[in-house]
Amino acid sequence: MTTLLAAFDLLLSLTLLGLAVAALTSAEPRRGVILFIAFGLLLALVWARLRAPDLALAEAAIGAGLSGALMLAAARRARRRRSPETAPRPSEEQP
Amino acid sequence: MIAYLLIITLVLMLSIVVGLVRVAIGPTPSDRMMAAQLMGTSGIGVILLLAPVVEVSALIDVALIFALLAAVAVAAFTRRRVTESGG
Amino acid sequence: MTIIEILSLVLLGTGAFFFLAGSIGLMRMPDRFTRLHALTKADNVGLGLIVLGLMPLAPDVRDALKLGLIWILVAVAGATGAHLIAKRAVRDDGEDSH
Repeated sequence: MTTLLAAFDLLLSLTLLGLAVAALTSAEPRRGVILFIAFGLLLALVWARLRAPDLALAEAAIGAGLSGALMLAAARRARRRRSPETAPRPSEEQP
Repeated sequence: MIAYLLIITLVLMLSIVVGLVRVAIGPTPSDRMMAAQLMGTSGIGVILLLAPVVEVSALIDVALIFALLAAVAVAAFTRRRVTESGG
Repeated sequence: MTIIEILSLVLLGTGAFFFLAGSIGLMRMPDRFTRLHALTKADNVGLGLIVLGLMPLAPDVRDALKLGLIWILVAVAGATGAHLIAKRAVRDDGEDSH
């Protein structure tokens, strides 16, 4: 039981560290944002494991949910502004 | 019983790690979002299984919030058109 | 160990198997539509079986009902999300090239 819990903790910590490194070293913004969402999810799992359900709630709602959605929108606009010739023109996207 | 729950939790963690690999290498953004969705569902499973292990029943509410916000992330990802007047 | 606990263990094991199968499918399937197929099985069936397995272990009826509500939410969100992702991939909106 203790061994299993230690294995779970180790796996959780290593995954969290790997996600942090991957999100920070990502060259493409959208990939970084999705990695950040996954990072927030794992961090909420860590708070749940540490018996802090209030912190896990806040991390899941703010960290993974809302700021993830906002950063996805920001990444899309940043890419459009940087390369206007490859991005689809807004007039063609109107239904 | 608790040990068995922990084994199941480890299997779900393995599923999260596989999803992480797919997020990192996934050729298209759709693949990345799909893998993030799998990670979210596995995370809900891990939290539900952790609730009897660490004996904090409030973790079920955390899983509820997870389930609600998974839909928000996917909807934000697949939103197609930015209104130009809104900037 | 009571019969309820054995039933719960079997359900949990089957749910974990579905999650494992879904993640293997996510790694091994050739294109994104088949990957989406593998993923939604893991989402709906795997979490459904795990919720069913945890329901007998819940301390009271309220928690058990809340577990059921979580599964309904995940099923609805998973179906909607899979549909959105697939539609976006079929239309090939131009953002998938990166």
